[in-house]
Amino acid sequence: MSPQPVQKPTVQPISVLVVDDEFALRKALHKSLAAGGFTVEEASNGEEALLFAQRRPFDLVLLDINMPGLGGVEACRRLREMAPQTGIVMVTVRDAENDKVEALEAGADDYVTKPFRLRELTARLRAVLRRTRTSDAPRPAVLTAGDLEMDVERRLLRRGGQPVHLAPREFDLLAFMMRNQDVPLTHARLLRSVWGPEYGNELEYLRSYVKMLRRKIERDSSKPEYILTEPWVGYRFRNPSDPEAPPPSVEDT
Amino acid sequence: MQGGLSGWTSVDLFDNPVSRVLMARSLWVGAALRCLRVTPGGALRKAGKRLWHAAKRAFVGGLFVAAITVVCHRLNANFAVASLLYLLVVVAQSLAGDFLPALCVSLGAVGCLDYFFTDPLYTFTVARAVDVVSLFSFAATAMVITELVLRARAEAQSARRDRERWERLYQLSQGLLPMKPQALRQMKFLDLFLGVFGSTAICLFDADTAEVHTVGTPRGALQERTRDAYVSGRDADDPESAVSVRRLQVAGRARGAIGFESLEDPKLTSGPLAILAAALIERTRALRDASEAAAAAQAEVYRSAILDALAHEFKTPLATILAAAGGLPEAGSLNAEQLEMAEIVEAEASRLGNLTSRLLRMARLDREDVRPRLEAFDLTAILAQLVEQQARRSTDHRLHFVRGPIPLEVRADPELLRLAISQLLENACKYSQPGSTVNILTEEGAGGVAIRVSNNGSSIALADQQRIFERFYRGVDAGRVAPGSGLGLFVARKIAAAHGGTLELEGQEQGDNPVTFRFTIPVRKVEGECVATTSTKTNSATN
Repeated sequence: MSPQPVQKPTVQPISVLVVDDEFALRKALHKSLAAGGFTVEEASNGEEALLFAQRRPFDLVLLDINMPGLGGVEACRRLREMAPQTGIVMVTVRDAENDKVEALEAGADDYVTKPFRLRELTARLRAVLRRTRTSDAPRPAVLTAGDLEMDVERRLLRRGGQPVHLAPREFDLLAFMMRNQDVPLTHARLLRSVWGPEYGNELEYLRSYVKMLRRKIERDSSKPEYILTEPWVGYRFRNPSDPEAPPPSVEDT
Repeated sequence: MQGGLSGWTSVDLFDNPVSRVLMARSLWVGAALRCLRVTPGGALRKAGKRLWHAAKRAFVGGLFVAAITVVCHRLNANFAVASLLYLLVVVAQSLAGDFLPALCVSLGAVGCLDYFFTDPLYTFTVARAVDVVSLFSFAATAMVITELVLRARAEAQSARRDRERWERLYQLSQGLLPMKPQALRQMKFLDLFLGVFGSTAICLFDADTAEVHTVGTPRGALQERTRDAYVSGRDADDPESAVSVRRLQVAGRARGAIGFESLEDPKLTSGPLAILAAALIERTRALRDASEAAAAAQAEVYRSAILDALAHEFKTPLATILAAAGGLPEAGSLNAEQLEMAEIVEAEASRLGNLTSRLLRMARLDREDVRPRLEAFDLTAILAQLVEQQARRSTDHRLHFVRGPIPLEVRADPELLRLAISQLLENACKYSQPGSTVNILTEEGAGGVAIRVSNNGSSIALADQQRIFERFYRGVDAGRVAPGSGLGLFVARKIAAAHGGTLELEGQEQGDNPVTFRFTIPVRKVEGECVATTSTKTNSATN
């Protein structure tokens, strides 16, 4: 990962492994991502991707979920074991929410839904990268997003400077979400991480907490800016003041 | 046979033979007379022919009587011998011919006995009382013998005829059984009926399809009479025009009627034929229903599968186009025009992608049970979002949203609801003039919440009103007005039904009334309810 001059003012070239069985899509992604400043390698299936990842670490892997052979989800699981620091973004199709949840549970950081715009893809890739690069850094004592300011140590939340009272569980939930900004968090993962490993199916429970949180931190709880719903998957915390934050994945209905 | 096919109580092909003989006999003069009345020329000739035959037989019998008289007279045979020989002639006469010649021969023999063998000879007078008794007993014996022989003959004849009918019916059913479904559907089986029991024309009225099928060349108004019999619910026999009509009943229900022309003995033969025809018509109907249902189901499966496959197949190429078009500006060295073109390619491919996604979702909702994942949310907020979205998309329409109570809390699947409502909004814009207004308002009632979307488009044709909710149905003019898959309203209604609600087209009269769709969701208790797992199956028939 030595710095080298490219057209874009990227400090560090980001290495991406594009894994897709469709030759044309692979090529198009390769050229476009390369033009955007990424260094790209291609693999045509899960097995090949694992071989490549063994040979050298990648910053990011873009992994098609529907592939012959190993399949995207299983490849994701093995990649995650092999390289915990690699950001994995799955390429899915809509109406395959179960696949998405499965992939996220298998260790994927995010997903894009085919057909997607290049801009959306690069935004997600960068968001994932940011998260993976900062995850090994010491946790900041104060988390910020938009006009929210959270003091984790002292368990305080301020919105626009004004203290907001949160119940302990609400605070934990929000803290977990703020630490995992810009990536989708499945219902099960939120429940496991905040309530405990024996939880996972209590959707209504989670929903009522999210509703309470939205009332407390959102300007208009019917048009949430921070806690976005990922339909049928879970939630995604977004920093509204972050210009590089990927757009919400809720597309026009 | 009678036991097997119920509903026919009056079928008696195999009547009591004795009564038939008597009936036949009493009928023949009467029949001759009736024929005279109906068609004088032909019937007269027929009756004359029969009389001529009887006379010939009687003449032959008379010759034998004369011969016996001559021989007995020469041999000086007595009364006993002569009467025995005469009886032989009477028996022979009965075996060979009808009652009338046998009667003539018997009377002739009595005359000869009296004249040649009873004292005083050569007169027709009788001197002794015992001779009177003898003559009478001869006459009685002759008559009884004639009667018995004729009866035996008639019985044999009747049995033969019955056997022939059985065989004919058996042949007919043998011919009908292996008929192919295609031939059955075209009512080809009527061809096999033609000619059976002398029928010259057959007409079948199928009440199911209200079709009339005719074979042969009917002389009279066979079709009308057949239909009339079905309509009036009465079998009909008309000896004058030789037409007999039987209703076709299956399991007590009238299915049609069959009419025969010139059927032999129609009272006896039409019944079994009608039973056969009823069985066939029922089989035909079952076949038709089955094949129609199968074809419809198959067609829907294909349509859905094709939509699904197309949408899936489109996704990867679209993703490729988007990736390539998105990369063009990144690659640099494009001038402003080229950049703009690359952007157009990207934007349009993205639009196509959204359309494809929606189509795929529709196809999926169409195919599968809708399983709403209920959660409580503010309907007004979601509606506001959807209206805003639609307003961005169709800039040539004014969308007017009358906000109801805020918040308007409902318990439903927000994703599914978005899909259904956005479909209604899109339709409202698609099927109305540019520049017109689309009104959206919510009403809270005791039963639940209603969302009404109305436009000032042209009214929906009456023929379309019942069918617009059917899957893949598109209005008569829809193809010209706007593109669509024909799934939208069907799926929207399915979504409403899955929530226990409804989607209706509000009562519309002729004129420029607004076209209003009303989507209702029932109120549900928020507490203590988990994610709904109820799946509701709807089909296009539930209107």
